[in-house]
Amino acid sequence: MNGNGVSRRFFMTTAVAAGGGLLIGSLMDAELSGATAAIAAAEAPLNAPLTSALNSPLNPWIRISSDDVVTLISSQSEMGQGAMTTLPAVLAEELGADWSRVKIEFSPTAPPYRNPRINWQFTGNSESTTGFFELLRTMGASAREMLIIAAANRWGVKAEECFTENGKVFHRPTGRSLKFGDVAEDAAKIAPPAQPKPKPESEWKVLGKPLRRVETPAKLNGSAVFGLDFSVPGMVHAAVKQSPAHGGAVASFDKSSVINLPGVIDVVPIPNGVAVVAKQYWQARQALRSLKVNFDDGPNASLSTESLNAQYRAALDGGAWKTVKTEGRAVSGEEMTGKFAAVVSQEYESQFLAHATMEPMNCTAHVTEDGCVVWGPLQGNELTQLTLAATLKLPPEKVTINRTLLGGGFGRRLLTDFVVQAALISRAVGKPAKAVWSREEDMQHDVYRPATLQRITAGLDQTGRPTAIAHKVVSPSILQYVFAPAVTEDNDPSCLEGLMETHYEIPDQRVDFHLLKTGVPTSVLRTTGYGPNIFAVESFIDELAHRAKADPYQFRHGLLKDERALKVLDTVAEKSGWKKRAPKGVGRGIAYTEAFRTHIAHVVELSVTNGLVKIHRITCAIDCGVALDPEICKNSIEGGTVWGLGAAFKSNISFKDGRTVETNFHEFQIPHMYETPPIEVHIVNSSTKGMGGTGEVGPVTLIPAVANALFAATGKRYRSLPLSKHGLTIG
Amino acid sequence: MRQISITVNGKALVVEAEPEKPLLWVLREDLGLTGAKYGCGMALCGCCTVHLNGDAIRSCVTPVARAEGKTVITIEGLSRDLSHPVQQAWQEIQVPQCGYCQPGQMMSAACLLAQKAKPTDTDIDDAMSGNICRCGTYPRIRRAIHRAAEIAAVKGGRQ
Repeated sequence: MNGNGVSRRFFMTTAVAAGGGLLIGSLMDAELSGATAAIAAAEAPLNAPLTSALNSPLNPWIRISSDDVVTLISSQSEMGQGAMTTLPAVLAEELGADWSRVKIEFSPTAPPYRNPRINWQFTGNSESTTGFFELLRTMGASAREMLIIAAANRWGVKAEECFTENGKVFHRPTGRSLKFGDVAEDAAKIAPPAQPKPKPESEWKVLGKPLRRVETPAKLNGSAVFGLDFSVPGMVHAAVKQSPAHGGAVASFDKSSVINLPGVIDVVPIPNGVAVVAKQYWQARQALRSLKVNFDDGPNASLSTESLNAQYRAALDGGAWKTVKTEGRAVSGEEMTGKFAAVVSQEYESQFLAHATMEPMNCTAHVTEDGCVVWGPLQGNELTQLTLAATLKLPPEKVTINRTLLGGGFGRRLLTDFVVQAALISRAVGKPAKAVWSREEDMQHDVYRPATLQRITAGLDQTGRPTAIAHKVVSPSILQYVFAPAVTEDNDPSCLEGLMETHYEIPDQRVDFHLLKTGVPTSVLRTTGYGPNIFAVESFIDELAHRAKADPYQFRHGLLKDERALKVLDTVAEKSGWKKRAPKGVGRGIAYTEAFRTHIAHVVELSVTNGLVKIHRITCAIDCGVALDPEICKNSIEGGTVWGLGAAFKSNISFKDGRTVETNFHEFQIPHMYETPPIEVHIVNSSTKGMGGTGEVGPVTLIPAVANALFAATGKRYRSLPLSKHGLTIG
Repeated sequence: MRQISITVNGKALVVEAEPEKPLLWVLREDLGLTGAKYGCGMALCGCCTVHLNGDAIRSCVTPVARAEGKTVITIEGLSRDLSHPVQQAWQEIQVPQCGYCQPGQMMSAACLLAQKAKPTDTDIDDAMSGNICRCGTYPRIRRAIHRAAEIAAVKGGRQ
């Protein structure tokens, strides 16, 4: 059997569509076109035929063809968070489209698709809903009003007498209707209304209820196209080896050591390493193992976990601080002595983490004299476009970014290192090239979630309630590689998330920050600064509660005034049965925060026997404004909770001789099925005025809730992660 | 390189490959079946799980020579039209997030259900311990396996 036919089919189904977008997972070969009726509805958005009929854009987000195909644009990459379902659903809702028949396409990289909050096109920071909801409502409403005017003009009736539903414009008094496709061409000529009116929530038909994800069917029969699955005719494959030491470089390599091996085409230098290019990836991978290459370890050759620990300790105990928040008297921890009924101080430590997306880094590129086209699992379209333009000395408009599905993102695919490699390899060999990292490359050349070391000091009144809190944070940069404009020599706002805007009513507050410079590449990873900071804050609040001999739930309740915060806290307490006494030996821990604009609280119930931690049950409540798709939100929070268990108990990146120690999943561990307890997620809807993200928030309160439950069960407080280093494992 | 006969998703094939080339890469590169994924290359993650004569195996560490004369089923062979009980349950419960590990999860689940029509939670823990999911969809995978067992039981009852 020759694979070409199959490859060609995959290529055809990911062909660039009319609008410049890329159809992904449009898996419809002859076999699947005969899918059962049961799944046809769910597949329909991806199943609609490409059309040559006149295709009228009503705005950058909506095209309607004269044969009645409604195409909705997804600006956001799909990495499992459901954005390519929920955001087009916002457009469909406002438009009055028939959701079962719409077609969804990824956007090109262009200004209309920028996140309006920061005027930048990317998928990350839990901003897909919060950043685009109002824009897409407006765009959908605008297009709806244009279709209505076009139909009303055709009928000679008033626009106010018309409405849209199921892909048609209706004239209410007469019951007449016109398909969108019948009026789209006219509608496209109408000036967009100045102030389109979105529908009230009470009229929603598509939003607010579970929709089946548009790309799920393709993910269930192997036809979904991830970056690793993408192919173009004539493509070659590259396996890469980067400097084992962070910051190192290739000293020399011997092309002749592999050039005669099966399939090998070339050996190409890349910025901090070398790539073996072959006809097939397996050939490239095998040849790479035989390649004679020497590296210069560079300036970080002596970097180790121990040297980093010493660096963090020196910074925390030293005096180089930037005061980033002052409220009330803003007393520092050192100044609290003698001024309060009691002063309490504790330190908390979170570890380095790898993204470890299940799909390793990879990208396909084709560089020609005319420009550069890439296809890959990418989160950072605009940064990627600009980086490639600068690297290849091309104008940005000559760089085309196409996105496949992402086999996990978690922030890693905002970076451009692997994309640049693919482009340089393609340019060197003059062919389309796909660069694929081995798991070992992926893990040892990640750009890690930085470890942090923190100290919190509180001044308490006679009842044990904090009236002053001072927080010191030592952390390397998070945003440096993905959003450099936000980072200064001594500040990075992402490192301070969760500390600048706490809901706890404490009159005197102060935050001091030390931006640590290390040899470890660090960047955004699911939970960003919130993860380590809320672990510290919520552990500390729990310590204060126990010190005051107060119930940890009631103690938090007494410190909160925000209505949404209280509702979420009360909901998690009620649903977890917090007020009922836990069975003997069982500890319950609670934690609350607002992160990524979502209010969230977890209760964890567990018991411990000889270091084996049996987690009985986890309850979570969230308020993300209004859950546009409750099942997608719940799935995300469930998954985030599991992620949090990994970060709390197991996952850890360490360093030796300038290198990352962990190489694969036996060393960098994540939870398994048998370690995952029952997880309940309860959604509290408040208002669309306060929309929050659900992609990253799941782990944030889970981790301190685990630590607090461990204290409740054992009387021992765990202030550094992962818990495995204290001999604790999930049993 | 030598010619190796295998039956893949019901089709008898002869592939020309190095005998030690992992089955995963033969499936992906020589046969164009990209449903089985590369995740770790060391049988640690389960993304590459396929059936070899009915057993769930990690194709990333299985030399293609070991599949010679045998039957391989990949996610593409579970069914193209999503009619297999595991696919139906996965769709009903909307299990996948990113979906990259799910072909492997589903192949392990299908193997479990072929051996135990009504698996317990402990059976599921045991059978699924070699498949990891970075998105953390385990609660839904567990529900979907129980649901697939129900769907299969109803289908079986009808026959």
